[in-house]
Amino acid sequence: MWAYIIRNFLQRCVLLFIVSVMAHSIVHLAPGEPSEVDPSNPRMQPEDIKKIREAFHLNDPLYLQYYYWMRDLFTGELKSFKDSQPVLPKIWERFLNSLPLFICATLIVWTLAFPTGIHAAVRRGSAYDRGSTFIAYALISIPGFFLSYIMILWVVDTFGVPVIGMRTFGMENAHPFFQTMDRIWHLVIPSIMSALTGIAILSRYVRSQMLEVISQDYVRTARAKGLDEDTVIYHHALRNALLPFVTLFGYLLPSLIGGSVIFEYIFAWPGLGRLGYEAILSRDFPIILTINFIAAALTLAGTFLSDILYAVVDPRIRLE
Amino acid sequence: MKIKWFLIIAPALLSLALLQSYFWVPTYETQTKGNPDRVWKFIEASIGDAKILNPILNADTASGRIVGLVFDSLLDYDEELNRRGRLATDWTITEEAYLIINPDAQFPDGIQVTANAMKARISDAIENGSLPKLKELVTEITLLPKRKRTEEIAIPGADGKPISVEVKVQVPERLQFSLKRVDQNFFKLLEPIIGANYEKNVPIEKWVEVSPQEHQKNLRPQFAEFLPVFEHHPIILFHLRKGVHFHDGHEFDAGDVKFTYEALMNSKNLSPRTSNFEPIKTVEIVDSHTVRVVYKRLFSPAIDAWSIGILPEHLLNEQALQREMDKRGLSKQAKAEFGMRDSQFNRHPIGVGPFRFVKWQGDELIHLIRNDDYWEGAPEYKEFYYRIIPDAITQEVEFRTGAIDTYSPQPHQAVRYKKDDTYQPFSVLGFGYVYIGYNNRRPLFVDKRVRQALGMAINADEIIEYILYGEGEKITGPYPKSTQWYNHKVKQIPYDPKKAQRILAKLGWKKNAQGWLEKEGKIFEFNLITNNGNLQRKAIMTIAQNSWRKIGIKCNTQLFEWAVFLKDFVNSGQFDAVVLGWSMGMDPDLYQIWHSSQAGPQQLNFVGYNSPEVDQLIVQIRQEYDIATQRNLTHQLHSIIAEDQPYTFLYAPRSNLVLDKKIVTMEKDGSYSKIKKTKSGSVFFHFNRWRKLEYTPKF
Repeated sequence: MWAYIIRNFLQRCVLLFIVSVMAHSIVHLAPGEPSEVDPSNPRMQPEDIKKIREAFHLNDPLYLQYYYWMRDLFTGELKSFKDSQPVLPKIWERFLNSLPLFICATLIVWTLAFPTGIHAAVRRGSAYDRGSTFIAYALISIPGFFLSYIMILWVVDTFGVPVIGMRTFGMENAHPFFQTMDRIWHLVIPSIMSALTGIAILSRYVRSQMLEVISQDYVRTARAKGLDEDTVIYHHALRNALLPFVTLFGYLLPSLIGGSVIFEYIFAWPGLGRLGYEAILSRDFPIILTINFIAAALTLAGTFLSDILYAVVDPRIRLE
Repeated sequence: MKIKWFLIIAPALLSLALLQSYFWVPTYETQTKGNPDRVWKFIEASIGDAKILNPILNADTASGRIVGLVFDSLLDYDEELNRRGRLATDWTITEEAYLIINPDAQFPDGIQVTANAMKARISDAIENGSLPKLKELVTEITLLPKRKRTEEIAIPGADGKPISVEVKVQVPERLQFSLKRVDQNFFKLLEPIIGANYEKNVPIEKWVEVSPQEHQKNLRPQFAEFLPVFEHHPIILFHLRKGVHFHDGHEFDAGDVKFTYEALMNSKNLSPRTSNFEPIKTVEIVDSHTVRVVYKRLFSPAIDAWSIGILPEHLLNEQALQREMDKRGLSKQAKAEFGMRDSQFNRHPIGVGPFRFVKWQGDELIHLIRNDDYWEGAPEYKEFYYRIIPDAITQEVEFRTGAIDTYSPQPHQAVRYKKDDTYQPFSVLGFGYVYIGYNNRRPLFVDKRVRQALGMAINADEIIEYILYGEGEKITGPYPKSTQWYNHKVKQIPYDPKKAQRILAKLGWKKNAQGWLEKEGKIFEFNLITNNGNLQRKAIMTIAQNSWRKIGIKCNTQLFEWAVFLKDFVNSGQFDAVVLGWSMGMDPDLYQIWHSSQAGPQQLNFVGYNSPEVDQLIVQIRQEYDIATQRNLTHQLHSIIAEDQPYTFLYAPRSNLVLDKKIVTMEKDGSYSKIKKTKSGSVFFHFNRWRKLEYTPKF
């Protein structure tokens, strides 16, 4: 087990290095220049552009630029092109903004997907099953931003309360209770919207897992023993059906970062996804690369974690 | 069983916990519920974030808005667009004029000119009243002795590298005149004494010496610039307001004004406004609250440059920057390059304006609180928030829920507010206009009648109605309609395609078999281009193409990326016609856009408009310091350009703004009144007196 963990960890480190080199090359080779050195900006003088390019190391060969990026990243001196602010604190600050949205959306997905999926599996072929299948596919196929706009317009039109951003502005001196409730309310709509697709997909998984388990011999045995249906479903079947979902926890890790770019943009949520999106628009290489690097590291860590988790919960699996 | 119940109760509880929060969130009607301070806060939405909060460095709208609240300028414009003092309580504009004594010249009566004779003759003329205009103008005449002056200048060498050249100037005796006001015709008034050809045979070769010698010849045409016979130096004496303090408590004084000027001219700071201050010769501190600004030449728009925010010297001078560098522990290389642009001041500005800066969270908000010590009295609002919402629909949604107090709607959104009396919509005519510019150098467009006919074929009303949703106004000439420079008497070119056809027929353009206008075997065909990315210009291009097709003119249209459009077509003059727009300033100076000397590559008169009459007027206007005279001149200029139609002037767009209806202007007696825009179109003019009520007022 430990040998596996160490070997796997080292492999992933090498992989991370390869990913970072590739990402670095792609970002730099893609067309477009950082907006600070955009030659089509009529206000910029060629001499200024030259100076800025040198300060950003943009004239150096790619491997040197990669070296500078890595050096600055690990010494914590890496700065954004756009406003010369240090990158890591900036990402951390935005990450803290994204975190509540992520937690809330995840809670909604995981608490709602299971009951709907299980119910559909138990009443296979019923009107409920067919209806929920239809809705699930509809939610998967309708673009999230479109639904969000409809939702925003409907909520604002019907209830007349603000839904954009992390909080209502101008509440700084209000009672803390009102401020907390205001923040929760601002979480509700964006997290529901970003959870919808998740619910749809996860509930489909739950349904098919349950169906598979229910048709197993041991479930028939349990029923034959005369156990009541609820015990059969929730005690015997559900536990086994849950196994594959444990691994999904591992995959949650990478979606911490850049989980909901579209929703953050629409809801003017100052989160990590929007930071990345705006960095891409203005070709802010240090930010793009660092977010990408962290995302890659989290993905590798996530898959690693789910491998281990699976071995922990399923005794039939042994890691070697 | 527990699991089953858990699976049902958990989501139900979660949903309840989340959704109940709705009941505590204020709607527009109940904004003060649980939050009575809401009415003391003003929240404005912006599409873009600010870039740099420094009055001499910023160049974008968002930064300009914040800088305008945090900093104050020496002067600005009042409701009627007249200049008014802010940090300057008042100012006087006088002039010092210099006349070179030309020993080779003769007085009109044939006697040789000498310094003393010149001074005596002019003094006598003033004394005995033979030149009455001079008497009230001149306060003092001084004879200045000869002196030497050396200048280092750089000239382009043969291989393109600049060469440094030394110019020695033997300044001869001069007469210095102190004038009560600026008068560009001062030396004309002296003509009866000095004669009409005084400046003709000045022995300038004797006075100017270039070393190394070989460049003497090349520089000969510029000698007159080193030593002009007639020199005007306008002088502004600013009296500054006393007892004004920066937000950190430091007192504002003349040193800050001088420092701001020096920072603007410091090439290390790369200020985008340097050119506005270039005509200044010196800025002198007379005493702690008096500043004397001497200009190099007559240039009346230069005074408007002082509507720039004044920087605090004590926070940005060399020592302060040095302290900041040491504190931040910068590397050696970073220190060498460190300048005002790198200072943290630009993210945390300190000025003397009505609002103090508190914090700036990138892409989210900028927060200001009111300056209780503001010299004009503290603003009514306690806090100001500038919220960045990058999307027009989201802005509208937030506005309707009362989460923001104002924003600038798009034309199609503005239409909705007009029908809705829940809000206060404003429609303001801006300082810009949109036009079709014809390359006046092309044989096709040389005749002004052709340009007039082209203009007659286009229906500007239709463009305003269908492209701008009515949010625009027709214009006739080059000045913003809300300024006094605009000549309202000039008649609009009518929309009359039939007349256009008649005019062209008179000029020999006949319809051929395919329906195109033809003259001497050539059909009337040209290319109309504009930049990509501006949907309005693109639509105008199509409308123009279609309108001209109707009268038999073949117009081909094309879109180019902005950089390509400028480089390959506009700057090099390689185009037939363009759709473009200008954004104008308050001043009446049109030199860069319309003077014939500005028609070279990279210059703004890219249509190559050339009219000696207009050139003369433009120069007169920028040298005139009397506003009434200036107005007469601009009206003349306007009508000439309107007649010549080097552009087809299409429209001036209106910009829109909506305000929460609960916001009113407080009067001095404690009553309130409805917010009105000023004559100049500024809605925010009385912003410091605005307040939000807890209820919707009825007017």
